[in-house]
Amino acid sequence: MDVVKTLTDKLSIEQVKIELLNTAYGYHHTFLQRLDPRTLFLWYLVFGVVPFFIHSTPVLIGLAAFLVVLTIMAKVSPLIIFILTLGLLTQGGSYLIVGLFFGGNVTAMLPLLKLTLKLSVISMASIVVFCSMSPEKLSDGLLKIGVPGQVSFSIGYAYRMLPTLVEEYHHIFLSYRLRGKKPAKKGLFYSRHLFYYIKLLIKSFYPLMLSVAKRSRTMVEALESKGSLYGFNHPKVKQLKLQHLTIKRRDVLFFSLSISYFIALIWLS
Amino acid sequence: MTHQLTMTDVTFTYPGQNSPQLKNVTLSIKEGTFVAIMGGNGSGKSTLCKCLNGLIPHYYVGDYAGKTTVNGHDTTKVSVSELSKHVGYVYQDFENQLVSPRVLDDACFAPLHFGLSDFKRRGERALELMAISHLKDRYIWQLSGGQKHLLALSGILSLDPDIIIVDEPVSQLDPFHAEVIYKQLQALHQQGKTVIVIEHHASFVARYAEEVILMCEGEVLAHTPVREALENDALLSQAGVYPPEVTMMARAMHWHDQPLPLTIDEAESYFKPLLKQVEENKVEIAPEENNDVAVQLQGVSFHYQSLEKTTHQVFDQLDLTLYQGERVALIGNNGAGKSTLMKLLTGQMKPKAGQIEIFNEDISQQSPEQLAEYVTYIHQNPEHMFIDDSVEKDIGYFLKMRHVKDLDQRVARLLERFDLTSLKSRDARLLSGGQMRRTSLAIGEGMSPKLLLLDEPTATLDMAAKQHVKRLMQSQTGEEKTIVMATHDVSLVFDWASRVIVLNNGQIIFDGLPEQLVGDYHVLNKAGIILPEIVELSRRLKLPLMKNQQMFIDCLQREVM
Amino acid sequence: MNTHQRFTLTQSQKMMVFILSMSLYGLSNMITELIPKFYLGPIELSVEYFAFIPLSLAMIFHPLYAAIGASLGEVIFGEIMLGQFGGIGELEKFIAFSLAIFIAGVSVRNPENKKQVALGAMVGVILHQFISMSVDILKVWVGVEELEAVEGLAESVVVIEGLAFLNDVLFSGILFALLPTLYLVPRLYGKIEPLLGMKPRKNDLQLGLSDIVTVPFVLATVVLGSLSFLFEYLSETTFGWEWEAPLVDRFGEWIVFPMMAIPVIVALVVVSYLVKRKGRKDTDGYSEVV
Repeated sequence: MDVVKTLTDKLSIEQVKIELLNTAYGYHHTFLQRLDPRTLFLWYLVFGVVPFFIHSTPVLIGLAAFLVVLTIMAKVSPLIIFILTLGLLTQGGSYLIVGLFFGGNVTAMLPLLKLTLKLSVISMASIVVFCSMSPEKLSDGLLKIGVPGQVSFSIGYAYRMLPTLVEEYHHIFLSYRLRGKKPAKKGLFYSRHLFYYIKLLIKSFYPLMLSVAKRSRTMVEALESKGSLYGFNHPKVKQLKLQHLTIKRRDVLFFSLSISYFIALIWLS
Repeated sequence: MTHQLTMTDVTFTYPGQNSPQLKNVTLSIKEGTFVAIMGGNGSGKSTLCKCLNGLIPHYYVGDYAGKTTVNGHDTTKVSVSELSKHVGYVYQDFENQLVSPRVLDDACFAPLHFGLSDFKRRGERALELMAISHLKDRYIWQLSGGQKHLLALSGILSLDPDIIIVDEPVSQLDPFHAEVIYKQLQALHQQGKTVIVIEHHASFVARYAEEVILMCEGEVLAHTPVREALENDALLSQAGVYPPEVTMMARAMHWHDQPLPLTIDEAESYFKPLLKQVEENKVEIAPEENNDVAVQLQGVSFHYQSLEKTTHQVFDQLDLTLYQGERVALIGNNGAGKSTLMKLLTGQMKPKAGQIEIFNEDISQQSPEQLAEYVTYIHQNPEHMFIDDSVEKDIGYFLKMRHVKDLDQRVARLLERFDLTSLKSRDARLLSGGQMRRTSLAIGEGMSPKLLLLDEPTATLDMAAKQHVKRLMQSQTGEEKTIVMATHDVSLVFDWASRVIVLNNGQIIFDGLPEQLVGDYHVLNKAGIILPEIVELSRRLKLPLMKNQQMFIDCLQREVM
Repeated sequence: MNTHQRFTLTQSQKMMVFILSMSLYGLSNMITELIPKFYLGPIELSVEYFAFIPLSLAMIFHPLYAAIGASLGEVIFGEIMLGQFGGIGELEKFIAFSLAIFIAGVSVRNPENKKQVALGAMVGVILHQFISMSVDILKVWVGVEELEAVEGLAESVVVIEGLAFLNDVLFSGILFALLPTLYLVPRLYGKIEPLLGMKPRKNDLQLGLSDIVTVPFVLATVVLGSLSFLFEYLSETTFGWEWEAPLVDRFGEWIVFPMMAIPVIVALVVVSYLVKRKGRKDTDGYSEVV
């Protein structure tokens, strides 16, 4: 159980915080990053939805290969890949175990593997697209395709507030720790300590709710005087905001090439 | 000159309150004046300003009577958005006024959402005006407090309003940045803008404002030129406002009938003729002998990774020894490492190299909970310390977790001592700044620490609350207790500390007695320390170091015949 | 207008509730994403979500804006910012969660009544988990080709998801929704509203007939509708899942997807109808959020 101890030592909240902010703000200059959000949305519509209805294994493998290449190109953070694989493995794994219990056998479970493949193609497609968009780009793109202005504002606001919120939450959490008392016994598998921490995580939201309430009030008042309640969905404002979006040659090229690959795959199989 | 802002018989009651926050306010402000609104907590200063930018009555659905006009527009007939082209308002908690992730986007936000096609140019110009163009591609969270305030100002300037209202600029900033803000406001005023500040620091008012509006319990007590207001002691104390220190001292001595000095320059020429030429005073230095070590840092290094994946070195091989019973003031500009040092001592952060011993015990193996048994950290922002739903419970939390027997009596004593008994069942977060600060001090005291760490205990307080906290600090001089305080408030340092440590870029550039620091121009400049008025004055008058007003008065009375 | 007092907030106050709920629940979502999960065999012991945050806010403030804010917060903080945005798949979560929180909020008429608060919290969790379960089961049934060829898969999916449902309701539901909500609502009630410049919800508040009847009514329709759809399918396929059903025969497997979407679409219509109705009532245009 010392593993847990060293792990918690390594994974200080401070580091998690930095990793979190890195994931949220760290955007690399990749090829995909330079594409117009509309291209990416359209591309996602094809690669994030259609594979669900494809049952041909070679096509799925071909798509997966293509997306792995793109995922590497997009320089997706390893943390995300890790979470993705873990999720897929555990879900598939538990189906498998219970399936066996109900009298299935391992070879018959192959279609399940296919489902996992399918789901990973879809997840990779969304990761590739949405990791390649900076918050500004995503909110502009959403605005362009008709999502209400409040949503795209909220994305920007979330990026604005995240560090402040994390900081404040961390402070409150620490205050609980500095004045509290950790259970003397660890309990089975550190369960007492775990329970203690989770309880603090929950309790810390009470002070946070009150202070975020104060913040929201000033924020909304300021918005009011900044004209945004009037401007969120005003066509003129939208047009000004989005005037920098243009479809370039590389957008057309990227989209048509990927589609050709897709079609070729289906054709070949 | 025309009357740009007028209020006629304005009365306003917030929803759910019984008595009005503003009572029959009538006033007018001329174009291009620099006005300071002064008054104690809850005197209606902010409410008054919210009437001027239309948030009242459009936004706050309370009972509103009377008439307010801005540039001839009746505020009830024009929308808040429309008014924001005439009036810009910077909040006290200006941080929450910034709504976009990046600097330039935030500066452009208002013109963009009003659909002005030159929004980008407007934003850029506003940033230029506040001299922060170089920051335009930064994220908001990368900015310092002072830069954020300048950005909040840019955000309103992008609409080019004629009237700028700034709510307590000094309360959230250190003295150095406050000065920067006032310089910028002065520049705007010189360009012909009307500037209105809510301020209780009379020294800023004396130097920058032209007129003063004094408020008390929702009423306007007086609206006069600055000198008239700040000289009128009776009126000021009725409004709960302290005059500048130099004015107070001159009045206390009252030697001649020249007008009282309001600023330090005036004070210099006021007091100078009264003094005989005194010979250079030598500061006597007798460092206290003390051998009981409280804290020992040996070769401590600390660095953290910033988002740009670069390592930011805070401390490199830092050595420091603190002795029991010392009152140590830790000063230095932002980012010098004051807070990091304190966090290392509480175990919230672990050094990357080196060793920290507190009371001869290596703390590297101790959790923050264990350390908290004898080390207490009092947060810069008291709100971060409030974790329960009443003052009483918050103070008792630590004791309760440890099942202390006489919990109730001990809490009652603390409440009494920190003057909080009448507030004990209120939620600490909903109190005024001074009350919050006292609660946080009481929480710290309740943990009866052997080592007390205070982070900026007087920041964000008005003068009266600051005096109260100072008195509490003075009484905090137990025999064994070691107190370390990080602060920008240098007046507190001279008044209270037995030892001063100046940090600069993670290095100790000064370690000695407060008296020694005054003469060390090099250190003062390097660390950006602004001396308190009294210390500065005694330096200019070539007097020995005066730690507080009484000392100054006594000394002068001895000097003058 | 008196009967609708609780809903008559100004446009800015709604925005405040929305922002409050979004930031808080969004942040909590980031945190729960980071808490490790534990498995006892196939049963997952995890901190699924801090449902108590939107539940408390929906009970204290305007349920609709708290609900939508929380769902959007989850999408932005928990998905987009961590780079896990699932695109279209998020829509289903968004709708299910908003609906559940909204209904939980509306069902509490007096925040000071502990029984109502407790009931509301559980209703919210059960509803949300039920919708998620249904969608998950359908996903596998549709996604796996020749489901009948795999012995035991169809059953195992139902068993797994059913267990997960029970686990989530009992574990997450009690620990992370019921208890914290009971702790928070009485503490926040009357204290947090003035911070946003509002009066607390009145105890003796009388909701209009339409508020009480329509929502549970619509809810029942949605739940029963999706249930019936499910059982219809189960009985027809007798767990064997025969693709020879006439519809499928004629249209191919594609037909299942639109059918699966029916409950989702119904839910969408309900939410948008509710929003429109509120929007019209307040004539403030904020309804554009959805």
